[in-house]
Amino acid sequence: MKLEREYILKELSRIFNEKFEIKNPGVDDDLREEYEFDSIDAIELLVEIEKILGFPLSQEQKKMAMEVRTIEQICDYIQRMEYVGV
Amino acid sequence: MEKKVVITACSALTPIGHGKQQILHSLKNGLSGVKPLCDDGLLSDYIHSKVFGTIDYPVEFDFKRSHRKTMGPVAFYACQVVKEVLEQAGLDDDFITSGRLGVAFGSTHGSPTIQRNIYKTFFSGSKDQFSTVSAVDYLKSMVHTTAVNITKMFGITGRVISSSTACTTSSQSIGFGYEMVKFGIQDAMICGGADEYDTTTVAVFDNLLACSTAFNDTPNLTPRPFEARRDGLVVGEGAGAVLLEEYNRAKKRGADILGEVIGFSCNNNGGDLILPNAKGIKETIRLGLESAKIKAEDVDLISAHATGTKMGDVIEAQAIHSIFSDTVHVTGLKSYMGHTMGTCGVIETIIALYMMEKGFIAPTLNLEKIDKRCAMIKHVTDLVDSEIRIALVQNFAFGGVNTCLILKKV
Repeated sequence: MKLEREYILKELSRIFNEKFEIKNPGVDDDLREEYEFDSIDAIELLVEIEKILGFPLSQEQKKMAMEVRTIEQICDYIQRMEYVGV
Repeated sequence: MEKKVVITACSALTPIGHGKQQILHSLKNGLSGVKPLCDDGLLSDYIHSKVFGTIDYPVEFDFKRSHRKTMGPVAFYACQVVKEVLEQAGLDDDFITSGRLGVAFGSTHGSPTIQRNIYKTFFSGSKDQFSTVSAVDYLKSMVHTTAVNITKMFGITGRVISSSTACTTSSQSIGFGYEMVKFGIQDAMICGGADEYDTTTVAVFDNLLACSTAFNDTPNLTPRPFEARRDGLVVGEGAGAVLLEEYNRAKKRGADILGEVIGFSCNNNGGDLILPNAKGIKETIRLGLESAKIKAEDVDLISAHATGTKMGDVIEAQAIHSIFSDTVHVTGLKSYMGHTMGTCGVIETIIALYMMEKGFIAPTLNLEKIDKRCAMIKHVTDLVDSEIRIALVQNFAFGGVNTCLILKKV
């Protein structure tokens, strides 16, 4: 089942709020610049993304996420991984 | 040229209180911080000793998530006492980040709570496809986690020393920090140690038959250093930090001077890793006195390591007697809170500073009937008013490591 973008955004909002204490980040905000979201946080976020996707990501797929900077880009990444996973 | 090194701020989080007022209150009223051992769902059922020196009061940690995310419980303790020390000292940010301030801080083995969570993931038999090992678990649990979380939180860029020598961890931290300032390598050092609630350590000592088991129903009556009915040590948790500064710098900025570190020694028994060793202890004391350029008769107070083990206390009493005879007050502060492991040296140093300032000596708690084999030294059995000009804090660790710190009232 294809993940709706609206659902992904809602889940990301929840994760950023609960896990990273970042409330309602703008979809185009640079997470590193605005919220000190660093590579350690990105690794933590990948665990949450795997839960959204419902399957584990490979090391190569995870490395592709390291350049992602905004919520918009995270949504794109999740949808791309969902497509690959399927 | 050797520099004069003074202590300009200190803070401790202990089973008998957080900060000076609470700790003094407990010492003056003979209040123990030893409590029943908590059920940890893993080891506590198998451990014979059912007591622990516990921080059972709430502590508020006001740290940003960007700092919290790399901290296990031990780093929370460490950063809290360092935060209090920096606030007390009033150092400006330019100096803190200048590279002239260093950190000497350690713990017995990082964060066992986090390590335990990692092992749980591997050994739970769970087929969960998503890893529950966090990206930051190593940063939270590594052996130098206290020191580097401190540098991160406060932007400290100077030397980092992270001693991890069990019970001499924080006394080594102070000693090595002292040498950094004494020889001009750093202008100031934040020194100390922390250890979190951990049953692994209790299990280890329990297996060695070194833990107290006879007072499980009356935790406040153990440990009993130098006492006839003592039956072993009690593990505890805590944290402590002191700020060491070069004297002229401290004086110039108008800092409160709580005491001077005038000597430090550290040696090894050069043999067995567990057995107490009178020769090693005597040598540590001798080297400490030599380092401080004082004689035995100049010392007013000895804060003994005094864990409450059967042989350790006897050997320590013999070593003290051979150098000081029965002329110097001896107190065993672990009697109040158990053995806070890597933290004991700094907590005992801070308490020695408090007693120096207030002019009293807290007695060894539970010392009702002195063991004849330990009776040859001058035990403090009741609170005494006494001016302390020079205090000696001695600590010994598994691995045969011994330390001696010598403090002077300024």
